[in-house]
Amino acid sequence: MNAPAGSSRFTVLAGSAIGAILLGGMLFGFALLPIIQGRQAGIDAWTAFCRSLGIGPGTPAASSPADTAAPRPVSDVAWTGATLAALAGAAPAAPPEAAQQCASCHGEKGIAIDPAFPNLAGQSAAAIFKQLHDYRSGARAHDVMTPMAQGLAEEDLAPLAVHFASQPKGSLDVTARADRNLPVADLVFRGDPARGIPACQACHGARSGGPIETPTLSRQNEAYLADQLRRYASGERGNDIYGRMRGFAAKLTEDEIKRLAAFYAWTE
Amino acid sequence: MIASRRLVLAHLWTAFIAFAAACVLGAWQMWVRSPLRPPLATPENYFLSVTAHGSAMAYVLTTFFIMGFGYYVAETALGRPLPRPRIAWAAFWIAMLGTLLALGTVLSGRATVLYTFYPPMTGSAVYYVGLVLVVVGSWVWVGLMVEAMRRWKKAEPGRPVPLAMFATVANAIMWAWTTVGVAAELLFQVIPAALGLVQSVDVGLSRTLFSWTLHAIVYFWLFPAYIAFYTMAPAAAGGRLYSDTMGRLTFVLFLLYSLPVGMHHLFMDPEHSTGFKFLQMVLTAFVAVPTLLTVFTITASMEIAGRLAGGRGLFGWIGALPWHRPMVLATGLSFVMLFFGGGGGLVNMAYGMNAMVHNTSWVTAHFHLIFGGTVVIMYFAIAYAIWPSLTGREAGSFTRQRLQLWLWFIGMMVTTLPWHWLGLLGQWRRVALFDYTNPTIAPWAPWVIVSFVGGLILLVSALLFVANLAGRHVPALRALPPRYAQSHHEASHVPTALNGFGFWNAAVAVLMLAAYGWPIAQFFVEPSPGAIVHRVDR
Amino acid sequence: MASEEDVLRTEIRWSYVVAGATALILGAILFAGLARGINPPSNLERIDPKTLHLTGEFAEGNLGTRVAPNGDVTVRIVTTQFAFVPQCVVVPTGRRVTLRFASPDVIHGVLVAGTNVNTMVIPGYVAQVHSTFTKTGDLLTPCHEYCGLGHSQMWAVVRAVPPDRFAADAEGRANCDRL
Repeated sequence: MNAPAGSSRFTVLAGSAIGAILLGGMLFGFALLPIIQGRQAGIDAWTAFCRSLGIGPGTPAASSPADTAAPRPVSDVAWTGATLAALAGAAPAAPPEAAQQCASCHGEKGIAIDPAFPNLAGQSAAAIFKQLHDYRSGARAHDVMTPMAQGLAEEDLAPLAVHFASQPKGSLDVTARADRNLPVADLVFRGDPARGIPACQACHGARSGGPIETPTLSRQNEAYLADQLRRYASGERGNDIYGRMRGFAAKLTEDEIKRLAAFYAWTE
Repeated sequence: MIASRRLVLAHLWTAFIAFAAACVLGAWQMWVRSPLRPPLATPENYFLSVTAHGSAMAYVLTTFFIMGFGYYVAETALGRPLPRPRIAWAAFWIAMLGTLLALGTVLSGRATVLYTFYPPMTGSAVYYVGLVLVVVGSWVWVGLMVEAMRRWKKAEPGRPVPLAMFATVANAIMWAWTTVGVAAELLFQVIPAALGLVQSVDVGLSRTLFSWTLHAIVYFWLFPAYIAFYTMAPAAAGGRLYSDTMGRLTFVLFLLYSLPVGMHHLFMDPEHSTGFKFLQMVLTAFVAVPTLLTVFTITASMEIAGRLAGGRGLFGWIGALPWHRPMVLATGLSFVMLFFGGGGGLVNMAYGMNAMVHNTSWVTAHFHLIFGGTVVIMYFAIAYAIWPSLTGREAGSFTRQRLQLWLWFIGMMVTTLPWHWLGLLGQWRRVALFDYTNPTIAPWAPWVIVSFVGGLILLVSALLFVANLAGRHVPALRALPPRYAQSHHEASHVPTALNGFGFWNAAVAVLMLAAYGWPIAQFFVEPSPGAIVHRVDR
Repeated sequence: MASEEDVLRTEIRWSYVVAGATALILGAILFAGLARGINPPSNLERIDPKTLHLTGEFAEGNLGTRVAPNGDVTVRIVTTQFAFVPQCVVVPTGRRVTLRFASPDVIHGVLVAGTNVNTMVIPGYVAQVHSTFTKTGDLLTPCHEYCGLGHSQMWAVVRAVPPDRFAADAEGRANCDRL
């Protein structure tokens, strides 16, 4: 195609305009603005320039506070890739040897012999792992569980968790269910925005995408659930990272605690 | 009737069915947010609905409409049959398969991550793969558009490419650039996480890659509206296009300045420095240029039409325009919405003021008004204009079409003006349930109800639109494509740079390197600790 | 009918208007940046979300408002599914306050109603905002980014009190219970 007269002039003009806008934006963004802002905030020109490029933390316009606080964690569990990979593995063919100690309270197949103890069958492996780990480290305390867990080696925890997670949940006695299913559906499915309580299902429901260590609650023992909610509310139990459960449980009434425990105990 | 009518109709019907279904969800979502409390209003259902609404509107309506309209323009503006129609059909079925996979997964509750993904939250891989297939289908379309233009240029050496096709190819090339960001995010970060191959995601990087796509994708959606402004509205009004060159300049400026600006979506993010945010803000300011050029050129074109129709005086020509024609009416209504939406956009773009409105209803209002209003009303007008040449039938009268356009305009204003106001009051985004007993929130209640009413008006309009297209029509006397507007002066000697894309592609590459080079490289130079994947599909 | 030269001339004139409008907008933003030190919350400070609760600064016991010996007020808040920790923080009005946020899990966002405090909280990074509060009272502080099914119920309160009512303990801590 023949270039009409003025075509190359147009290209040069357009290219220069684009270049000028780009260079102007860079001049102001990387030099003038950060250096002047930095001077007002007592930051030297070089640091301000680097910060405007994203080299080193902080903004060119203000200094960052120093921090010397000592760590005070409520749980030592960290969900690293290695831990998650161990928990995602297949269940061992034979129950781990350590599972025998668990059976005396939690049942051979993870169904507790006494409703005061939690069922482990079908529980999330991450949840079991975290609680065992917390009993070992002392983040959660229990007269029986603490010495039990401390008797285990760190590498025993994941296989145990995976073993019980792979057991089928107990069957539900539907005849007993009807009079137990008390009306708390609003808290379970909608939450209460006025009190800042999310729906229980927002974390405990299937496919919720909530915190990794969230346990499943359905068909858990009613007495155990109510007891744990009360312990969270009082602060007696405090191994929930960032107090997620302590905060919400403290906002519940005693009546709601009873209803929620009954709801989950008798729900699929 | 045109040769590729079945191909075009398949695309447009897919787009409009997804659109109508998404309108039902949108109206229901406003009901949930209001104090009126509809049935089934749980967060689980609400966010599933938001994901479906966003995915259907942003990925299905737009991509299929633009592909279908592109094929239409390629045949009618160039006056030549479409190259490789079989490949075009294959692309349609790939995109259709992707749509069914993605929307099916959303409806099964396994991908409630909203249409902007939000890793480390991760849904089923099927959802993301489905969206990738939609994009793959659109990539084939990009290739076909470029090839159609190349063949035409070869056959007609020295002649400027017709403006409608030039713009369509500009959009295709821009789309190819645009999809690189989101494709990289999906293929290298999100899908590996969804398949369980990696346990953590660098969220800073994923947000940066998505921002690459996030502004330009809106301009991808916007292009058909601008093509209609430049090439269809002046002809429908009975006038001429004031300046063909301005049209070309507008379209290359969209190509240029819609890409290196995406970081204005990340102004409030901690993972980028002030310098790059400032630079991209400066470049963002220049997206106002093509819009302002368009407002001027189209107004001038309309003035020519109005004066030809006998309009006198400073404003007399406005009344003399043929407002009974849907294309003219839609253009007028679209400009009103562009005025409000563009004004709101200026606030978003200024990073000082952005802190006031970021992630409030102001932003929701802005993109509903610009995309749902300004752009989608032109989709309607385009569909009405080209329908006779696709089906061989035409509407007996324009009354129901005009009613539908007015309802859409009124519905959009009634929905989004309260949202702007609520955003300024601090109403934040993506919320299923508000506590209307809170003293800060209580005064919002009437405004939320007003916008719910707006949502219902929009729903009525959407259903009327589908009925208008599907309803029984009289056989068309002349099932010819609508005439494209003649330029006021015959475009005989456009500068070479405005008859092709080589120079502009080079310019985009330079700008992208300057604007995104280091901001992306920094994640590899100093990798951030990843965030653990949170699965929502099991 | 306008001649081709006329068309060109009006177009060029209009281009000047467009350029002027764009320059005006950018000039106003630049002025605000220079005169009032306005910047978007950019920080680029990396932190591991997996071990956030084990670190010093964002461990549970160290969150909330803290006054440094030199008088600087820093507020540290963790945003997590689906709560702010702590649920209530206290800040003095009329004094520059630095707010630092971090997330151990997914993306969150935070705004304090009626102030310029607005930032995303991205896991892997510390988000930092500087602000001087002017209004007193309990300011609604919601999470404004989708973080999961409990997003709608995730909010906190920033309690802004006059300087004479703002009191820190011996360690420099101030919290809502003490007021």
